[in-house]
Amino acid sequence: MVRAVAAVEMLATCALSRADSVAAFAHDGALSSWEVFGQQLVTGLSNGMIIALIAIGYTMVYGIIELINFAHGDLCMLGAFFALTVVGALGVDQWGGAGGTAGLVMVLVGTAAFCGSLNWSINWLAYRPLRKASKLSLLVSAIGASFILVNLGLFWGGLPMDVFAGGTSSAAPKAFPALVSSDPAAQIGDVIYSRTDFLVLCVTLPLMVALTYLVRYTKLGKAMRAVAQNPTAAALMGIDVERVIGATFFIGGALGGFATVVYSLYNQTVSFQMGYRMGMDAFIAAVLGGIGNLPGAVLGGLLIGLIRSMSDGYIEARWTNTVVFGILILILVFRPSGLLGAKLREKV
Amino acid sequence: MGAPRKMPWKMALALVALAMIPVVEPSLPQRLAISEPMTDVFVYAILGMALNVITGFTGLLNLGVAAFAAIGAYVFAISTCEIYPFQLGFWPALALTMAVGALAGFALGAPTLRVRGDYLAIVTLGFGEIVKDVLVNLDSITKGTQGINPLPPPTVFGAELGSRGQYWLLLAFVVVVFAGARSLERSRVGRAWLSIREDELASRAMGIRPDHAKMLAFATCASLAALAGALTASRLSSSGEPSNYDFQVSVLALCIVIVGGIGSVRGVLLGAIVMVGMNSIVLVKLTEMIGNTDSAGASRLAETHGMERVWVFITTWAQNVLLSPTNWKFLLFGLALVLMMMFRPQGILPPRAEHEAPPEDEGTGPAPAKGAAP
Amino acid sequence: MIRRTASIVAALIGAAFLLAAAPAQDSAGKTLKIVSSLPRTGSANAQTTSMVNGIKMAIEERGGAVDGFTIEYDDMDDASPQKGNWDPAVESSNAKKAIADETVIGYIGTYNSGAAKVSMPLLNKAGLVMVSPGNTYPGLTKPGTGEPNEPAVYRPSGKIGYFRVVPTDDIQGAVACEYCRNDLNAKKVFILHDRELYGKGIADVFKKTAGATGVEVVGFEGIDPKASNYRSLVTKIRAAAPDAVFFGGTTQTNAAQVLKDLRAGGCKVPFMSPDGTFEKAFIEAAGKDNVTKEQGGVFITFGGLPSDQLTGLGAEFVKKYKAKHGVVPEAYAVYGYEAGRVLLDAIDRADKKDRASVLAAVAATKDFTGALGTWSFDENGDTTNKTMSVNTIKDGDFSFLKAVVGGAAKAK
Repeated sequence: MVRAVAAVEMLATCALSRADSVAAFAHDGALSSWEVFGQQLVTGLSNGMIIALIAIGYTMVYGIIELINFAHGDLCMLGAFFALTVVGALGVDQWGGAGGTAGLVMVLVGTAAFCGSLNWSINWLAYRPLRKASKLSLLVSAIGASFILVNLGLFWGGLPMDVFAGGTSSAAPKAFPALVSSDPAAQIGDVIYSRTDFLVLCVTLPLMVALTYLVRYTKLGKAMRAVAQNPTAAALMGIDVERVIGATFFIGGALGGFATVVYSLYNQTVSFQMGYRMGMDAFIAAVLGGIGNLPGAVLGGLLIGLIRSMSDGYIEARWTNTVVFGILILILVFRPSGLLGAKLREKV
Repeated sequence: MGAPRKMPWKMALALVALAMIPVVEPSLPQRLAISEPMTDVFVYAILGMALNVITGFTGLLNLGVAAFAAIGAYVFAISTCEIYPFQLGFWPALALTMAVGALAGFALGAPTLRVRGDYLAIVTLGFGEIVKDVLVNLDSITKGTQGINPLPPPTVFGAELGSRGQYWLLLAFVVVVFAGARSLERSRVGRAWLSIREDELASRAMGIRPDHAKMLAFATCASLAALAGALTASRLSSSGEPSNYDFQVSVLALCIVIVGGIGSVRGVLLGAIVMVGMNSIVLVKLTEMIGNTDSAGASRLAETHGMERVWVFITTWAQNVLLSPTNWKFLLFGLALVLMMMFRPQGILPPRAEHEAPPEDEGTGPAPAKGAAP
Repeated sequence: MIRRTASIVAALIGAAFLLAAAPAQDSAGKTLKIVSSLPRTGSANAQTTSMVNGIKMAIEERGGAVDGFTIEYDDMDDASPQKGNWDPAVESSNAKKAIADETVIGYIGTYNSGAAKVSMPLLNKAGLVMVSPGNTYPGLTKPGTGEPNEPAVYRPSGKIGYFRVVPTDDIQGAVACEYCRNDLNAKKVFILHDRELYGKGIADVFKKTAGATGVEVVGFEGIDPKASNYRSLVTKIRAAAPDAVFFGGTTQTNAAQVLKDLRAGGCKVPFMSPDGTFEKAFIEAAGKDNVTKEQGGVFITFGGLPSDQLTGLGAEFVKKYKAKHGVVPEAYAVYGYEAGRVLLDAIDRADKKDRASVLAAVAATKDFTGALGTWSFDENGDTTNKTMSVNTIKDGDFSFLKAVVGGAAKAK
């Protein structure tokens, strides 16, 4: 984890320092068709990486207790409110320079810790008592948790702080200060690779690498895989199953926390209703890749991001949802357990 | 097919009490009027019973039941509204709606028979989103987000029904669907559904064709949900807009089924009364009682310091959001769900022992081998 | 089991009755009631709160009584928590509730035109007058602007019982387009809309006017108001290279996000939007850096004059509102106030205080001196006031640019 944070910091500093050298691009007439395609690719990948990061949290929880965690998107939403509160209270947007980068890293880590702890607590309070109940009861509990989180977001938006516009209209969307500007970090022709695009890459990629390392090579990762395989057997081998489940919720939530800060910086909007779409996209991504499968979630996320931007660009924005879900259904009809999901064993 | 049981007298009593609501209501104070939101309960009860066929009996998680209700509402609206050339009567339109609903159920069920468990759940969810989007986008036919209205009031033997008549009509539909679902449960196909839920492989060995049974479950669910949609449209005299049949509706229907007691028709009925009653009656009355507060004035925060600042901060916040009961609706709803599941995870009225599933998964979580089961 | 069923049902019904009965005061005597039905839960809350404040102020100004009758006011919510937006079932229930309550003499609402379509026929049949402070869909009142059966379909009694104090979208869309052409010198526009009744309706008028006045429409797209961003759409817009972008939609349907993504994606042309974005929440959601002139500028039409441009009674209202609530009212507050005032005025003028007389009195409103100037209701129930304004955003606040008197239905 520490290593990942260090990498983020390094890359972010690099991104922030070099951008001024690129001249502000000029808007000179129409884009050529390959430029349009290139730009859509950039947009699709950036959106996809954010979705992927959230989807990992979904898929981890699913892998271990087979719960479609409906509250995950709303957890991310609360994370965004937390990040905005920290930014507002400390005035991080005014820090600038190296301080700004440090502030950004602080917000990222703080929000990750917040989301991780919150997810852990939700598991402890709402899901843990239901271990023996049916999966559907668990699902309803998650739906209930999601409603509660949405409402907490509504309350949070009413805080009388400047970043919440004095809190007079708690339901309205709030602007998230541009800690990283959207000026180009690189430009080829009219294809702009902005600093926010770069930020997305700098945060998501190291985290994915770190997570893979954690799941594959650490003791906790092995315990997680064991619990996912067979909790009873894992318990018999001396693994503290509850602790492992808790850790999974914490890690999944923390990844959601990182993702939500990146999301907020990329879109510059925070609203108590944003969790629905975040959760939905991530859920689709997780299922598309094969729910429970980590590389699958990443692949699914990237695909969803790309399909969305290509459909917006080349079909029509109003049909994008239909296209996304249509492709999803088609893929599931031909590969009923997702792209990378293991074939479900029929009971013998 | 088991012999039809006699209706328990307490249930008959409850039915009479429900039927009396619009009769006694005018003599009661305005604040006690609940017949209007009760019709909401009835419609959701039908939707819940529809979902129960597929999720409760057959064990397939469906997150898109609202899509079938949307199809129902729009087919009903298009076939009756005066701006379209069809202008069918209430009953033929209702029959058409249910037929189209069943077809839609087939259309979704047939290609997705291989898709299982939570994958099926997302297919149904996606279907819901697609239907909603198509209804918005094909605005030359569906009028987009305008809604199709007005629809003629329902008729019985040529007589138009007033609001009281419509209330009874809806209640009658609930009773009919209830009786139908109960007898379906005990019928040959109903038992096939239950056996698929418990063990698909074993039921195949017993000579049940799971594909047939599943398709039938899809069609039945879709047809009943379409009925619920058509009845909503007729009650509102408008198809409503497509977003009235979004994911939230599917979620509410699912909550009704699970909170009531999955697989139990009576439980679902009770679930509808509890969940929708809380939503449309208790929370609304609560809000009426307390009323909305004025939003906060200009913040005096800037001039205050120390403890006083904390106090002003909190009071301003309270005035902004916390004091208004409308702002608590989601929280109360969510809390009710979580607590309900914590203390009665099997629902208020779980199915009786005769159909009861063996306790699922004794361990801390389902083993991967069971991954196929929803 | 059955016993439990019965007892739970009984307990629930009992609880509902108790809840409802507790604060029931006797409403006997000379009491008349005005109700409003606006979406109080969810994202339109800021606007509707200020409207409700406006209505309350109108009642308070008369000391809570008219002609010896005490005026009661009930603030109904036509949104449901599940939707977070107006819900036809709730709106229909509100209308029926108002009809059933014999003391109710006027119905102020709705905010969304879609909701009006549900309650209008009900209220019309019952002869209960309806005054809307927010509906702008032309088809509700004007023949030939919507479906062929509109507006007759909303008038089952054959009489007009619906009135609105706000000018309609067919006027506003045309004003916006003409401003775009004449003042912004746009030759090519890209039009976006949120696919909603209001947003798409106004975008359609804009498009029609553009066609008639020689402005080239280089794109016309409906967006998904719940999308997390519109970067890919912005690329499409950049490829079309318009001189201006028009968005038919509201703050609730993500107008601020569209603007932000335009700026972040490097498309720095003027951005125009209708009065659904004429609220502080829009600037706050868009962020102060994205609304500046250097970034291309934001231009917002509004079906009236902004608070600081109001004169006479309107200016007085703004002053009083500010004193009472500590903030400058949202632009729509004055319509709530005006709806309340015109209704109270009609109750005052009505010789008998029953629904029919009050309805007749509202219909007869002529040369009414209100906060929006002096105006009347025309034969369709529309206000004769057609003053529009074009506003921009300066230093993080709305700034008035010019007033335009909308030509009646130039774009049909």
